[in-house]
Amino acid sequence: MSASAARSAQGLGDHRKGLAAGRLLRDLKILLPFAVLVAVWWAIYLSVDFSPQVLVSPLAVWHAFAHLVSHGVMAEYANTSLRMIGLAALLSLLVGVPMGFAVGINRYAAHALEGFLRFLQGISGIAWLPLAIIWFGFTHTTTLVIVIYTLIVPIVFNTMIGVRAIPEAYTLALRSLGASRLRLVKDVYLPGALPSIVVGLRLGMGYGWRALIAAEMLVRKGGLGDLIFGARTFGQIDRIITGMIVIGCLYVVVDRLIIQPIENLTIARWGVLRQ
Amino acid sequence: MAERDTPSEAKIVVSAFRHFFETADGPVQATDHVDLTIRAGEFVTLVGPSGCGKTTLLKALAGFIRPSEGNILYEGRPVRGPGRERGVVFQELAILPWRTVRRNIGHGLEIARVPRAERERTVARLIELTGLTGFEERYPHELSGGMRQRVAVARTWAANPDVILMDEPFAAVDAMTRLTLQEELVRLCAATAKTVFFITHSVDEAVFLGDRVLVMTRRPGRIKAVINVPGRAAGRDWESFKVDAAMQAIAEQVLRLVRQERGAAATPTAAALAAGTRA
Repeated sequence: MSASAARSAQGLGDHRKGLAAGRLLRDLKILLPFAVLVAVWWAIYLSVDFSPQVLVSPLAVWHAFAHLVSHGVMAEYANTSLRMIGLAALLSLLVGVPMGFAVGINRYAAHALEGFLRFLQGISGIAWLPLAIIWFGFTHTTTLVIVIYTLIVPIVFNTMIGVRAIPEAYTLALRSLGASRLRLVKDVYLPGALPSIVVGLRLGMGYGWRALIAAEMLVRKGGLGDLIFGARTFGQIDRIITGMIVIGCLYVVVDRLIIQPIENLTIARWGVLRQ
Repeated sequence: MAERDTPSEAKIVVSAFRHFFETADGPVQATDHVDLTIRAGEFVTLVGPSGCGKTTLLKALAGFIRPSEGNILYEGRPVRGPGRERGVVFQELAILPWRTVRRNIGHGLEIARVPRAERERTVARLIELTGLTGFEERYPHELSGGMRQRVAVARTWAANPDVILMDEPFAAVDAMTRLTLQEELVRLCAATAKTVFFITHSVDEAVFLGDRVLVMTRRPGRIKAVINVPGRAAGRDWESFKVDAAMQAIAEQVLRLVRQERGAAATPTAAALAAGTRA
Protein backbone atom coordinates (compact mmCIF):
# COMPACT_ATOMS: atom_id res chain seq x y z
CA MET A 1 0.00 0.00 0.00
CA SER A 2 2.77 2.41 0.86
CA ALA A 3 4.49 1.48 -2.40
CA SER A 4 1.47 2.53 -4.41
CA ALA A 5 1.12 5.68 -2.34
CA ALA A 6 4.72 6.61 -3.04
CA ARG A 7 4.22 6.10 -6.75
CA SER A 8 1.09 8.18 -6.95
CA ALA A 9 3.17 11.33 -7.28
CA GLN A 10 4.54 10.16 -10.61
CA GLY A 11 1.33 10.71 -12.52
CA LEU A 12 -1.96 9.02 -13.17
CA GLY A 13 -0.68 6.12 -15.32
CA ASP A 14 1.89 5.13 -12.77
CA HIS A 15 -0.67 5.64 -10.06
CA ARG A 16 -3.07 3.18 -11.69
CA LYS A 17 -0.29 0.67 -12.15
CA GLY A 18 0.63 1.19 -8.53
CA LEU A 19 -2.97 0.57 -7.46
CA ALA A 20 -3.18 -2.64 -9.51
CA ALA A 21 0.10 -3.82 -8.03
CA GLY A 22 -1.17 -2.92 -4.57
CA ARG A 23 -4.33 -4.93 -5.11
CA LEU A 24 -2.34 -7.94 -6.28
CA LEU A 25 -0.09 -7.59 -3.26
CA ARG A 26 -3.14 -7.49 -1.01
CA ASP A 27 -4.61 -10.62 -2.58
CA LEU A 28 -1.30 -12.41 -2.14
CA LYS A 29 -1.20 -11.28 1.48
CA ILE A 30 -4.54 -12.98 2.10
CA LEU A 31 -3.20 -16.26 0.71
CA LEU A 32 0.17 -16.04 2.46
CA PRO A 33 -0.87 -17.42 5.89
CA PHE A 34 -2.49 -20.41 4.16
CA ALA A 35 0.69 -21.11 2.26
CA VAL A 36 2.70 -20.87 5.48
CA LEU A 37 0.32 -23.24 7.26
CA VAL A 38 0.58 -25.84 4.48
CA ALA A 39 4.37 -25.46 4.37
CA VAL A 40 4.69 -25.92 8.15
CA TRP A 41 2.34 -28.89 8.04
CA TRP A 42 4.34 -30.46 5.22
CA ALA A 43 7.65 -29.80 6.94
CA ILE A 44 6.44 -31.41 10.17
CA TYR A 45 5.03 -34.33 8.22
CA LEU A 46 8.35 -34.90 6.42
CA SER A 47 10.59 -34.44 9.46
CA VAL A 48 8.69 -36.86 11.73
CA ASP A 49 7.73 -40.34 10.69
CA PHE A 50 3.99 -40.19 11.39
CA SER A 51 1.68 -43.14 11.18
CA PRO A 52 -1.17 -42.42 8.69
CA GLN A 53 -3.48 -42.83 11.72
CA VAL A 54 -2.03 -39.61 13.18
CA LEU A 55 -1.11 -37.22 10.37
CA VAL A 56 -1.08 -37.39 6.57
CA SER A 57 0.57 -35.15 3.98
CA PRO A 58 -1.23 -32.26 2.27
CA LEU A 59 -1.01 -34.28 -0.92
CA ALA A 60 -2.90 -37.19 0.66
CA VAL A 61 -5.57 -34.72 1.77
CA TRP A 62 -5.79 -33.39 -1.77
CA HIS A 63 -6.31 -36.93 -3.07
CA ALA A 64 -9.01 -37.60 -0.47
CA PHE A 65 -10.68 -34.33 -1.48
CA ALA A 66 -10.57 -35.27 -5.18
CA HIS A 67 -11.99 -38.69 -4.36
CA LEU A 68 -14.83 -37.33 -2.22
CA VAL A 69 -15.71 -34.75 -4.85
CA SER A 70 -15.58 -37.11 -7.83
CA HIS A 71 -17.83 -39.64 -6.07
CA GLY A 72 -20.34 -36.98 -5.17
CA VAL A 73 -19.89 -37.66 -1.45
CA MET A 74 -18.63 -34.20 -0.61
CA ALA A 75 -21.48 -32.54 -2.50
CA GLU A 76 -24.03 -34.52 -0.54
CA TYR A 77 -22.55 -33.76 2.90
CA ALA A 78 -21.93 -30.10 2.04
CA ASN A 79 -25.43 -29.80 0.60
CA THR A 80 -26.97 -31.06 3.85
CA SER A 81 -25.00 -28.53 5.89
CA LEU A 82 -25.65 -25.57 3.56
CA ARG A 83 -29.37 -26.30 3.34
CA MET A 84 -29.58 -26.54 7.10
CA ILE A 85 -27.79 -23.23 7.72
CA GLY A 86 -29.86 -21.57 4.97
CA LEU A 87 -33.16 -22.79 6.42
CA ALA A 88 -32.07 -21.81 9.93
CA ALA A 89 -31.03 -18.33 8.76
CA LEU A 90 -34.36 -17.81 6.99
CA LEU A 91 -36.45 -18.94 9.97
CA SER A 92 -34.29 -16.96 12.39
CA LEU A 93 -34.80 -13.77 10.37
CA LEU A 94 -38.55 -14.37 10.07
CA VAL A 95 -38.92 -14.79 13.82
CA GLY A 96 -35.96 -12.78 15.15
CA VAL A 97 -36.49 -9.49 13.31
CA PRO A 98 -40.11 -8.97 14.47
CA MET A 99 -39.01 -9.92 17.99
CA GLY A 100 -36.18 -7.39 17.81
CA PHE A 101 -38.65 -4.70 16.67
CA ALA A 102 -41.11 -5.49 19.43
CA VAL A 103 -38.38 -5.24 22.02
CA GLY A 104 -36.53 -2.30 20.49
CA ILE A 105 -39.57 -0.06 20.05
CA ASN A 106 -40.54 -0.47 23.68
CA ARG A 107 -37.84 1.12 25.81
CA TYR A 108 -38.89 -0.74 28.96
CA ALA A 109 -38.94 -4.11 27.22
CA ALA A 110 -35.52 -3.40 25.74
CA HIS A 111 -34.15 -2.55 29.16
CA ALA A 112 -35.72 -5.63 30.74
CA LEU A 113 -34.53 -8.04 28.05
CA GLU A 114 -31.01 -6.77 27.46
CA GLY A 115 -29.55 -8.75 30.37
CA PHE A 116 -31.59 -11.82 29.48
CA LEU A 117 -30.37 -11.80 25.86
CA ARG A 118 -26.77 -11.49 27.04
CA PHE A 119 -27.37 -14.42 29.40
CA LEU A 120 -28.68 -16.50 26.49
CA GLN A 121 -25.66 -15.50 24.42
CA GLY A 122 -23.54 -17.05 27.16
CA ILE A 123 -25.29 -20.43 26.88
CA SER A 124 -23.98 -21.70 23.56
CA GLY A 125 -26.21 -23.72 21.27
CA ILE A 126 -24.01 -26.74 21.93
CA ALA A 127 -24.88 -26.53 25.62
CA TRP A 128 -28.52 -27.07 24.62
CA LEU A 129 -27.65 -30.26 22.71
CA PRO A 130 -28.21 -32.70 25.62
CA LEU A 131 -31.72 -31.31 26.21
CA ALA A 132 -32.48 -31.07 22.50
CA ILE A 133 -31.47 -34.68 21.93
CA ILE A 134 -33.67 -35.80 24.82
CA TRP A 135 -36.61 -33.80 23.43
CA PHE A 136 -36.22 -34.35 19.69
CA GLY A 137 -33.94 -37.38 19.42
CA PHE A 138 -31.07 -37.78 16.95
CA THR A 139 -32.92 -35.94 14.19
CA HIS A 140 -32.58 -32.99 11.83
CA THR A 141 -35.04 -31.22 14.11
CA THR A 142 -32.47 -31.24 16.91
CA THR A 143 -29.82 -29.76 14.62
CA LEU A 144 -32.24 -27.14 13.29
CA VAL A 145 -33.34 -26.11 16.78
CA ILE A 146 -29.74 -25.72 17.95
CA VAL A 147 -28.72 -23.68 14.90
CA ILE A 148 -31.81 -21.44 15.05
CA TYR A 149 -31.23 -20.83 18.75
CA THR A 150 -27.63 -19.84 18.02
CA LEU A 151 -28.54 -17.64 15.06
CA ILE A 152 -31.58 -15.95 16.49
CA VAL A 153 -30.04 -14.41 19.60
CA PRO A 154 -27.59 -12.12 17.75
CA ILE A 155 -30.33 -11.27 15.21
CA VAL A 156 -32.83 -10.25 17.92
CA PHE A 157 -30.14 -8.42 19.83
CA ASN A 158 -28.79 -6.46 16.87
CA THR A 159 -32.26 -5.69 15.50
CA MET A 160 -33.12 -4.26 18.89
CA ILE A 161 -29.91 -2.20 18.97
CA GLY A 162 -30.59 -1.02 15.41
CA VAL A 163 -34.14 0.09 16.21
CA ARG A 164 -33.01 1.91 19.32
CA ALA A 165 -30.28 3.73 17.41
CA ILE A 166 -32.81 5.30 15.01
CA PRO A 167 -33.09 9.03 15.83
CA GLU A 168 -36.40 9.87 17.50
CA ALA A 169 -36.86 12.75 15.05
CA TYR A 170 -37.38 10.25 12.19
CA THR A 171 -40.42 8.72 13.84
CA LEU A 172 -41.75 12.01 15.23
CA ALA A 173 -41.52 13.60 11.78
CA LEU A 174 -43.39 10.73 10.18
CA ARG A 175 -46.05 10.72 12.87
CA SER A 176 -46.67 14.39 12.20
CA LEU A 177 -47.09 13.43 8.54
CA GLY A 178 -49.88 11.10 9.64
CA ALA A 179 -47.98 7.78 9.59
CA SER A 180 -49.54 4.71 11.21
CA ARG A 181 -47.64 2.24 13.38
CA LEU A 182 -47.34 -0.15 10.43
CA ARG A 183 -46.04 2.67 8.24
CA LEU A 184 -43.40 3.50 10.85
CA VAL A 185 -42.22 -0.12 10.84
CA LYS A 186 -42.12 -0.26 7.05
CA ASP A 187 -40.60 3.15 6.36
CA VAL A 188 -38.46 3.82 9.43
CA TYR A 189 -37.73 0.82 11.66
CA LEU A 190 -37.07 -1.75 8.95
CA PRO A 191 -34.78 0.32 6.72
CA GLY A 192 -33.25 2.07 9.73
CA ALA A 193 -32.39 -1.16 11.48
CA LEU A 194 -31.35 -3.01 8.31
CA PRO A 195 -27.60 -2.41 8.57
CA SER A 196 -27.72 -3.62 12.15
CA ILE A 197 -29.88 -6.63 11.20
CA VAL A 198 -27.28 -7.60 8.60
CA VAL A 199 -24.56 -7.35 11.25
CA GLY A 200 -26.64 -9.62 13.48
CA LEU A 201 -27.15 -12.06 10.62
CA ARG A 202 -23.45 -12.07 9.88
CA LEU A 203 -22.50 -12.74 13.50
CA GLY A 204 -25.27 -15.33 13.77
CA MET A 205 -24.08 -17.15 10.66
CA GLY A 206 -20.60 -17.39 12.17
CA TYR A 207 -21.88 -18.81 15.46
CA GLY A 208 -24.57 -20.86 13.69
CA TRP A 209 -22.13 -22.53 11.33
CA ARG A 210 -19.99 -23.69 14.25
CA ALA A 211 -23.03 -24.89 16.18
CA LEU A 212 -24.25 -26.70 13.07
CA ILE A 213 -21.02 -28.69 12.66
CA ALA A 214 -21.01 -29.56 16.36
CA ALA A 215 -24.65 -30.67 16.27
CA GLU A 216 -24.06 -32.73 13.14
CA MET A 217 -21.17 -34.51 14.88
CA LEU A 218 -23.49 -35.71 17.64
CA VAL A 219 -26.70 -36.17 15.69
CA ARG A 220 -24.96 -38.10 12.85
CA LYS A 221 -27.66 -37.57 10.23
CA GLY A 222 -25.49 -36.14 7.43
CA GLY A 223 -23.65 -32.85 7.00
CA LEU A 224 -19.97 -31.99 7.21
CA GLY A 225 -19.85 -32.53 10.97
CA ASP A 226 -21.10 -36.07 10.38
CA LEU A 227 -18.47 -36.52 7.64
CA ILE A 228 -15.50 -35.65 9.84
CA PHE A 229 -16.82 -37.41 12.94
CA GLY A 230 -17.63 -40.54 10.92
CA ALA A 231 -14.12 -40.51 9.43
CA ARG A 232 -12.70 -40.53 12.97
CA THR A 233 -14.30 -43.94 13.58
CA PHE A 234 -12.23 -45.38 10.76
CA GLY A 235 -9.13 -43.31 11.46
CA GLN A 236 -9.38 -41.54 8.09
CA ILE A 237 -7.18 -38.57 8.88
CA ASP A 238 -7.23 -37.43 5.24
CA ARG A 239 -11.05 -37.22 5.26
CA ILE A 240 -11.11 -35.40 8.59
CA ILE A 241 -8.71 -32.71 7.40
CA THR A 242 -10.47 -32.45 4.04
CA GLY A 243 -13.78 -31.93 5.84
CA MET A 244 -12.27 -29.29 8.10
CA ILE A 245 -10.88 -27.35 5.16
CA VAL A 246 -14.20 -27.51 3.35
CA ILE A 247 -16.00 -26.29 6.50
CA GLY A 248 -13.70 -23.28 6.67
CA CYS A 249 -13.88 -22.55 2.95
CA LEU A 250 -17.68 -22.75 2.77
CA TYR A 251 -17.98 -20.33 5.67
CA VAL A 252 -15.67 -17.84 3.98
CA VAL A 253 -17.58 -18.20 0.71
CA VAL A 254 -21.00 -17.68 2.35
CA ASP A 255 -19.72 -14.75 4.39
CA ARG A 256 -17.80 -12.99 1.62
CA LEU A 257 -20.04 -13.73 -1.35
CA ILE A 258 -23.49 -13.41 0.25
CA ILE A 259 -23.53 -11.53 3.53
CA GLN A 260 -20.72 -9.02 3.10
CA PRO A 261 -22.09 -7.70 -0.23
CA ILE A 262 -25.48 -7.13 1.47
CA GLU A 263 -23.74 -5.30 4.28
CA ASN A 264 -21.76 -3.12 1.87
CA LEU A 265 -24.92 -2.32 -0.06
CA THR A 266 -26.76 -1.07 3.02
CA ILE A 267 -23.75 0.95 4.13
CA ALA A 268 -23.32 2.55 0.71
CA ARG A 269 -27.02 3.34 0.35
CA TRP A 270 -27.64 4.41 3.91
CA GLY A 271 -24.48 6.49 3.98
CA VAL A 272 -23.76 5.24 7.48
CA LEU A 273 -20.02 5.64 6.97
CA ARG A 274 -20.30 9.20 5.83
CA GLN A 275 -22.53 10.55 8.59
CA MET B 1 -51.00 46.17 13.99
CA ALA B 2 -52.20 48.39 11.14
CA GLU B 3 -51.23 45.64 8.67
CA ARG B 4 -53.34 43.11 10.48
CA ASP B 5 -56.70 44.84 10.21
CA THR B 6 -58.51 41.81 8.81
CA PRO B 7 -59.92 39.87 11.77
CA SER B 8 -58.33 36.40 11.65
CA GLU B 9 -59.60 33.21 13.17
CA ALA B 10 -57.60 31.54 15.92
CA LYS B 11 -55.82 28.44 14.70
CA ILE B 12 -54.15 27.39 17.91
CA VAL B 13 -55.13 28.49 21.39
CA VAL B 14 -52.91 27.59 24.33
CA SER B 15 -54.35 28.32 27.75
CA ALA B 16 -52.78 27.97 31.18
CA PHE B 17 -50.17 25.58 29.78
CA ARG B 18 -47.64 24.28 32.28
CA HIS B 19 -45.36 21.32 31.87
CA PHE B 20 -43.25 19.19 34.17
CA PHE B 21 -40.77 16.47 33.33
CA GLU B 22 -40.23 13.47 35.55
CA THR B 23 -36.56 12.99 36.32
CA ALA B 24 -34.63 10.84 38.77
CA ASP B 25 -34.45 13.87 41.10
CA GLY B 26 -38.18 14.48 40.96
CA PRO B 27 -40.26 16.62 38.63
CA VAL B 28 -38.60 19.52 36.80
CA GLN B 29 -40.74 22.38 35.63
CA ALA B 30 -40.12 23.06 31.94
CA THR B 31 -42.59 25.88 31.40
CA ASP B 32 -44.59 28.16 33.59
CA HIS B 33 -48.12 29.26 32.70
CA VAL B 34 -48.23 29.98 28.96
CA ASP B 35 -51.20 31.57 27.19
CA LEU B 36 -50.92 31.95 23.44
CA THR B 37 -53.11 32.40 20.42
CA ILE B 38 -51.86 31.81 16.89
CA ARG B 39 -54.12 33.19 14.20
CA ALA B 40 -54.56 31.80 10.70
CA GLY B 41 -51.93 33.00 8.24
CA GLU B 42 -49.74 34.42 10.97
CA PHE B 43 -45.98 33.87 11.33
CA VAL B 44 -45.24 33.76 15.05
CA THR B 45 -41.68 33.44 16.28
CA LEU B 46 -40.71 32.49 19.82
CA VAL B 47 -37.30 33.50 21.10
CA GLY B 48 -35.80 32.65 24.45
CA PRO B 49 -32.68 31.37 26.18
CA SER B 50 -31.62 27.72 25.86
CA GLY B 51 -33.57 25.38 28.07
CA CYS B 52 -36.45 27.80 28.65
CA GLY B 53 -39.07 25.30 27.51
CA LYS B 54 -39.49 26.47 23.90
CA THR B 55 -39.17 22.99 22.47
CA THR B 56 -41.48 21.59 25.15
CA LEU B 57 -44.16 24.04 24.08
CA LEU B 58 -43.67 23.15 20.40
CA LYS B 59 -43.80 19.42 21.14
CA ALA B 60 -47.06 19.95 22.98
CA LEU B 61 -48.49 21.89 20.01
CA ALA B 62 -47.37 19.06 17.72
CA GLY B 63 -49.07 16.55 20.02
CA PHE B 64 -45.90 14.62 20.89
CA ILE B 65 -46.34 15.32 24.60
CA ARG B 66 -49.41 15.94 26.73
CA PRO B 67 -49.40 19.10 28.80
CA SER B 68 -49.15 18.53 32.54
CA GLU B 69 -51.60 21.39 33.04
CA GLY B 70 -53.78 23.58 30.86
CA ASN B 71 -54.95 22.80 27.38
CA ILE B 72 -54.15 23.27 23.72
CA LEU B 73 -56.90 23.71 21.17
CA TYR B 74 -56.47 23.33 17.44
CA GLU B 75 -59.42 24.95 15.64
CA GLY B 76 -61.37 24.64 18.86
CA ARG B 77 -60.66 20.93 19.40
CA PRO B 78 -58.18 19.65 21.97
CA VAL B 79 -54.88 18.33 20.58
CA ARG B 80 -54.63 14.62 21.43
CA GLY B 81 -51.65 13.55 19.33
CA PRO B 82 -49.68 14.37 16.22
CA GLY B 83 -51.73 15.10 13.11
CA ARG B 84 -51.32 15.78 9.44
CA GLU B 85 -52.78 19.29 9.82
CA ARG B 86 -49.81 20.30 12.02
CA GLY B 87 -46.50 19.77 10.20
CA VAL B 88 -43.19 19.88 12.04
CA VAL B 89 -39.69 20.83 10.90
CA PHE B 90 -37.05 19.71 13.38
CA GLN B 91 -33.69 21.15 14.32
CA GLU B 92 -31.88 17.86 13.85
CA LEU B 93 -31.87 15.98 10.60
CA ALA B 94 -35.24 14.27 10.42
CA ILE B 95 -35.37 13.31 6.74
CA LEU B 96 -34.73 9.66 6.06
CA PRO B 97 -31.19 8.83 4.86
CA TRP B 98 -32.38 5.83 2.82
CA ARG B 99 -34.81 7.86 0.70
CA THR B 100 -33.85 10.12 -2.17
CA VAL B 101 -34.68 13.83 -2.04
CA ARG B 102 -37.75 13.26 -4.21
CA ARG B 103 -39.06 10.36 -2.15
CA ASN B 104 -38.41 12.22 1.12
CA ILE B 105 -40.36 15.25 -0.06
CA GLY B 106 -43.22 13.09 -1.32
CA HIS B 107 -43.35 11.00 1.86
CA GLY B 108 -46.26 12.80 3.50
CA LEU B 109 -48.27 12.59 0.29
CA GLU B 110 -47.44 8.90 0.01
CA ILE B 111 -48.72 8.37 3.56
CA ALA B 112 -51.88 10.32 2.68
CA ARG B 113 -52.32 8.05 -0.38
CA VAL B 114 -52.29 10.95 -2.81
CA PRO B 115 -52.35 9.61 -6.39
CA ARG B 116 -48.91 9.38 -7.99
CA ALA B 117 -49.46 12.00 -10.70
CA GLU B 118 -50.63 14.61 -8.22
CA ARG B 119 -47.83 13.67 -5.84
CA GLU B 120 -45.21 14.13 -8.55
CA ARG B 121 -46.65 17.54 -9.42
CA THR B 122 -46.55 18.76 -5.81
CA VAL B 123 -43.04 17.41 -5.26
CA ALA B 124 -41.78 19.02 -8.48
CA ARG B 125 -43.25 22.37 -7.43
CA LEU B 126 -41.59 22.22 -4.00
CA ILE B 127 -38.28 21.10 -5.42
CA GLU B 128 -38.38 24.22 -7.56
CA LEU B 129 -39.53 26.49 -4.71
CA THR B 130 -36.77 25.25 -2.40
CA GLY B 131 -34.00 25.36 -5.00
CA LEU B 132 -33.37 21.61 -5.06
CA THR B 133 -33.68 21.19 -8.83
CA GLY B 134 -31.09 18.72 -10.08
CA PHE B 135 -30.79 16.95 -6.73
CA GLU B 136 -34.03 14.93 -6.93
CA GLU B 137 -32.35 11.53 -7.01
CA ARG B 138 -29.64 12.25 -4.46
CA TYR B 139 -29.51 10.74 -0.98
CA PRO B 140 -29.28 13.02 2.07
CA HIS B 141 -25.68 12.07 2.83
CA GLU B 142 -24.75 13.44 -0.60
CA LEU B 143 -26.15 16.88 0.29
CA SER B 144 -24.85 19.80 2.33
CA GLY B 145 -26.44 20.62 5.67
CA GLY B 146 -28.37 23.52 4.17
CA MET B 147 -29.78 21.37 1.39
CA ARG B 148 -30.87 18.69 3.83
CA GLN B 149 -32.86 21.26 5.77
CA ARG B 150 -34.40 22.45 2.48
CA VAL B 151 -35.55 18.88 1.93
CA ALA B 152 -37.02 18.77 5.46
CA VAL B 153 -38.85 22.07 4.87
CA ALA B 154 -40.10 20.91 1.45
CA ARG B 155 -41.34 17.61 2.89
CA THR B 156 -43.40 19.42 5.51
CA TRP B 157 -44.79 21.93 2.99
CA ALA B 158 -45.60 19.21 0.44
CA ALA B 159 -47.94 17.49 2.90
CA ASN B 160 -49.88 20.78 2.91
CA PRO B 161 -50.54 21.11 6.64
CA ASP B 162 -52.57 24.05 7.97
CA VAL B 163 -50.00 24.98 10.56
CA ILE B 164 -46.27 24.47 10.44
CA LEU B 165 -44.23 24.18 13.63
CA MET B 166 -40.52 24.82 13.21
CA ASP B 167 -38.00 24.06 15.96
CA GLU B 168 -34.78 25.98 15.25
CA PRO B 169 -34.62 24.43 11.79
CA PHE B 170 -31.58 26.46 10.67
CA ALA B 171 -29.53 26.24 13.87
CA ALA B 172 -27.20 23.56 12.54
CA VAL B 173 -26.28 25.18 9.19
CA ASP B 174 -23.50 27.67 8.61
CA ALA B 175 -24.18 31.39 9.03
CA MET B 176 -24.19 32.32 5.33
CA THR B 177 -26.47 29.46 4.34
CA ARG B 178 -28.75 30.36 7.22
CA LEU B 179 -29.34 33.85 5.79
CA THR B 180 -30.29 32.33 2.43
CA LEU B 181 -32.60 29.77 4.01
CA GLN B 182 -34.33 32.49 6.03
CA GLU B 183 -34.98 34.56 2.91
CA GLU B 184 -36.22 31.47 1.10
CA LEU B 185 -38.57 30.75 3.98
CA VAL B 186 -40.00 34.27 3.70
CA ARG B 187 -40.67 33.70 0.00
CA LEU B 188 -42.06 30.20 0.56
CA CYS B 189 -44.50 31.53 3.17
CA ALA B 190 -45.55 34.33 0.85
CA ALA B 191 -46.18 31.82 -1.94
CA THR B 192 -48.18 29.40 0.21
CA ALA B 193 -49.86 31.51 2.93
CA LYS B 194 -49.23 29.16 5.85
CA THR B 195 -49.62 29.65 9.57
CA VAL B 196 -46.18 29.21 11.08
CA PHE B 197 -44.92 28.89 14.65
CA PHE B 198 -41.14 29.20 14.65
CA ILE B 199 -38.79 28.68 17.59
CA THR B 200 -35.31 30.16 17.69
CA HIS B 201 -32.76 31.59 20.07
CA SER B 202 -31.54 34.07 17.48
CA VAL B 203 -33.09 37.50 17.99
CA ASP B 204 -32.38 38.61 14.41
CA GLU B 205 -33.98 35.48 13.01
CA ALA B 206 -37.08 35.93 15.18
CA VAL B 207 -37.57 39.56 14.10
CA PHE B 208 -36.68 38.95 10.45
CA LEU B 209 -39.18 36.12 10.00
CA GLY B 210 -42.06 37.01 12.28
CA ASP B 211 -45.28 38.99 12.27
CA ARG B 212 -45.10 38.72 16.01
CA VAL B 213 -42.14 37.91 18.23
CA LEU B 214 -42.80 36.24 21.56
CA VAL B 215 -40.04 36.50 24.15
CA MET B 216 -39.81 33.73 26.70
CA THR B 217 -38.23 33.93 30.14
CA ARG B 218 -35.62 31.44 31.26
CA ARG B 219 -36.83 28.15 32.73
CA PRO B 220 -39.51 27.65 33.78
CA GLY B 221 -40.43 29.69 30.72
CA ARG B 222 -43.41 31.94 30.27
CA ILE B 223 -44.07 34.54 27.62
CA LYS B 224 -42.91 37.85 28.99
CA ALA B 225 -43.39 40.10 25.97
CA VAL B 226 -45.05 40.16 22.56
CA ILE B 227 -43.60 42.47 19.92
CA ASN B 228 -45.35 43.12 16.62
CA VAL B 229 -43.17 43.35 13.53
CA PRO B 230 -44.92 45.13 10.63
CA GLY B 231 -44.49 44.58 6.93
CA ARG B 232 -43.88 40.88 6.43
CA ALA B 233 -46.42 40.81 3.60
CA ALA B 234 -44.20 43.16 1.57
CA GLY B 235 -41.35 40.64 1.68
CA ARG B 236 -38.07 40.83 3.54
CA ASP B 237 -34.41 40.44 2.70
CA TRP B 238 -31.36 40.80 4.89
CA GLU B 239 -29.76 43.74 3.05
CA SER B 240 -32.73 46.03 3.60
CA PHE B 241 -33.51 44.55 7.02
CA LYS B 242 -30.06 45.53 8.26
CA VAL B 243 -30.44 49.19 7.21
CA ASP B 244 -34.11 49.56 8.11
CA ALA B 245 -34.07 51.73 11.25
CA ALA B 246 -37.52 50.64 12.40
CA MET B 247 -36.57 46.97 12.09
CA GLN B 248 -33.28 47.49 13.88
CA ALA B 249 -35.08 49.28 16.71
CA ILE B 250 -37.38 46.29 17.12
CA ALA B 251 -34.43 43.89 17.04
CA GLU B 252 -32.67 45.92 19.74
CA GLN B 253 -35.78 45.95 21.87
CA VAL B 254 -36.11 42.17 21.58
CA LEU B 255 -32.41 41.70 22.25
CA ARG B 256 -32.70 43.71 25.47
CA LEU B 257 -35.65 41.58 26.59
CA VAL B 258 -33.80 38.36 25.84
CA ARG B 259 -30.58 39.51 27.46
CA GLN B 260 -32.34 40.28 30.72
CA GLU B 261 -33.00 36.54 30.84
CA ARG B 262 -29.39 35.59 30.46
CA GLY B 263 -28.64 36.94 33.91
CA ALA B 264 -25.15 37.58 35.22
CA ALA B 265 -23.62 34.85 33.06
CA ALA B 266 -23.47 37.13 30.00
CA THR B 267 -20.41 39.33 29.68
CA PRO B 268 -21.34 42.81 28.45
CA THR B 269 -18.72 43.08 25.72
CA ALA B 270 -19.47 43.94 22.13
CA ALA B 271 -18.29 40.52 20.99
CA ALA B 272 -20.61 38.71 23.36
CA LEU B 273 -23.42 40.99 22.27
CA ALA B 274 -22.89 40.14 18.63
CA ALA B 275 -22.53 36.46 19.41
CA GLY B 276 -25.54 36.55 21.69
CA THR B 277 -27.90 37.26 18.84
CA ARG B 278 -26.85 34.08 17.11
CA ALA B 279 -25.58 31.71 19.76
